[in-house]
Amino acid sequence: MTDLTPVQRERWHEERTRYSRPGFLIQMAALAALVVIPLIFPSFRVMDVVAKIMIFTIVVASYDLILGYTGLLSLGHSMFFGIGAYSLALVIYHAPQPCWYHFLVAAGVALSLSVALALIIAFFSLRVKAIFFAMMTLALAEFTDILAVQWYDLTRAEDGVSFKLPGIFNLGWSGPTLGGIEINGRLMTYYFILVVSVILFVMMVRFIRSPVGRVLKAIRDNEPRATALGYKTFRYQVFSIVFGSSIASLGGILFATWLRYVSPGSTLSTPIMLNILLMVIIGGLGTLYGSIIGAAFIKMTETWLPDLQQAAETVFPNMVILHRLAERWILYFGVLFILVVFFFPRGFVGTAREMIRRRKAIARKRS
Amino acid sequence: MAADTGLAVSAGRGGFDARRWGAWIVSVGIWFIPLLWIDVITYMTLTIAGLTMGALLFLTASGLTLIFGLMDVLNLAHGAFFVWGAYAGFSLLNYLNTLGWVEMASLGQSMGSLVLTLLTALVVGGLLGILLEKIIIQRTYGNHLKQILITMGAALVMTEIIKVFWGPNDEVILVPAAFKDSWDLVDIVVNKFRGVAIVVGVAVFAAIQLVLQRTRLGITVRAGVENREIVQVMGYNIERIFTGVFAAGAALAAMGGVMFAIFKEQIYPGMGDETLIFALIVVIIGGMGSVAGSFLGALMVGLAFNYVAFLVPKLALGVNIMIMAVILLIRPSGLMGRK
Repeated sequence: MTDLTPVQRERWHEERTRYSRPGFLIQMAALAALVVIPLIFPSFRVMDVVAKIMIFTIVVASYDLILGYTGLLSLGHSMFFGIGAYSLALVIYHAPQPCWYHFLVAAGVALSLSVALALIIAFFSLRVKAIFFAMMTLALAEFTDILAVQWYDLTRAEDGVSFKLPGIFNLGWSGPTLGGIEINGRLMTYYFILVVSVILFVMMVRFIRSPVGRVLKAIRDNEPRATALGYKTFRYQVFSIVFGSSIASLGGILFATWLRYVSPGSTLSTPIMLNILLMVIIGGLGTLYGSIIGAAFIKMTETWLPDLQQAAETVFPNMVILHRLAERWILYFGVLFILVVFFFPRGFVGTAREMIRRRKAIARKRS
Repeated sequence: MAADTGLAVSAGRGGFDARRWGAWIVSVGIWFIPLLWIDVITYMTLTIAGLTMGALLFLTASGLTLIFGLMDVLNLAHGAFFVWGAYAGFSLLNYLNTLGWVEMASLGQSMGSLVLTLLTALVVGGLLGILLEKIIIQRTYGNHLKQILITMGAALVMTEIIKVFWGPNDEVILVPAAFKDSWDLVDIVVNKFRGVAIVVGVAVFAAIQLVLQRTRLGITVRAGVENREIVQVMGYNIERIFTGVFAAGAALAAMGGVMFAIFKEQIYPGMGDETLIFALIVVIIGGMGSVAGSFLGALMVGLAFNYVAFLVPKLALGVNIMIMAVILLIRPSGLMGRK
């Protein structure tokens, strides 16, 4: 047998151990948990958190493609998210009757809008300097937010758009009861989101392992070298931005599907962008799986922190400044954010991977 | 870089440069186009409103361009300095009002309280700037991504602290009595505070240019930007200079904040983010690191915003993005940016 190149050997090894690695088992366990959770905890709150975690995992992972794998800081990812959410909401809201094909129309509108916008942003800002990209996206995102607030006839401004979904996703729909579990519209929506987000996530994992993904990593690590090797770096960067943004807009559609309500504050505003950034940083840049950890962490704290706050209020009823401090949970997010950027720049998954690698290296040295 | 600008200047001096003059005529003439739809009196009023807005925007954008252009730090906490300045001024004005220096003030007292307010904002902004630079920014020089993330986090924390102390709601800021009414120049009504804002804006512009171009400190700063090591070798404490520049930028933002708050007569914690977007647009239009560029950019944005807001109100916010896009198309590095 001829000698294999290191890359070939690595791939061969990967192929052989594909279904027995701990990573694969964890993935399967997580998937099974996601399927079972709504059956075990029928309370709306748990289902709501898990669904939002899935949706935000998609959005954050698509953001990670742009920031972590391509090395471009976009501050307008919430804009694409909002475009997706609003396309579904507005298509159904302005149509006389919610229909199935509205999902397709919304996906078409969202994808074409986000591809066009991403192309425009890329061509305007990447020509000059990467930092322009951050500023341009920030300005455009803010502009979209303001537009949604101002254009009352189309978007109902801050009142937001609430709408009904067709068929089995409708809240009024209820199916048979199987083994004590009532199958209703909300449950069906949950599984729809589960299926779509798993597909999208696998798509992104395949994307970063594809040749294009490898080139993107090369550009991120050393752009002049990638150029010297003959890659058209600009084209690859544009491709990554367009791909990531499109997936974010699909994530927006999922978000609208789950909430059946869209408002500028919940999709387009700066806090959403900050949340996405925080999730990606906490999970770990350039890890993709980190987005799950990040989304789960933030969404869970967001849901259960108010309980803590109420507890604090009942324990110390007379200290106003303490109440105010407790109310400002974004403050702690900010502090956490700074600390993570300083001390764990690789985030949760990045740090964990490093530790595993180090332990393996020590074990190898010993043997 | 320096050689490039030198070349452009000498080309301009030698003979009649048709392209250059054409560009000037077009760029001045374009501001008279709105006269086609607006009558002269309204046009003048709008122009003054636009100049005011430009001057106020410049106060904020100048700090941003100083920090960004000279130190290469993209400071997203700029909006937070802006709000801190505004709230510091708000508290001081409330205090001065108990002495009778604000609502019932004479001209002299009004002037005094305005100057005091501006000074307070400058000091508060400067101190916060020094603090932020020493604690956080200093560790991130040269790493853009980290800078953006860190300053974003800092902005979050600073804005939230404001909400803890002053509450999250809109408040009415007091305006010194002498600046409340308006002058009447041949049917054109000019609010007095607008005049003050324009004067302050131009004065700050002149001061920054003077310091940067004519003083030893300015030369050192500019040299430090070009080559940090050499300046250090020459015996200057570059770290202290950078801290100073950052503090100056923050102080300017804070002053812009209090001026803006008095102009709008209201104050709320989210005002920093909104203005930061305008300031970013101004800096992009003007070209990074060019104070003159951001002055021009601020005036452009202010004027365009006011004309369009009068003609087609819905387009008003979009017009700034449009200007930015057009300028980036023609000159990717901004009006006066270095290549």
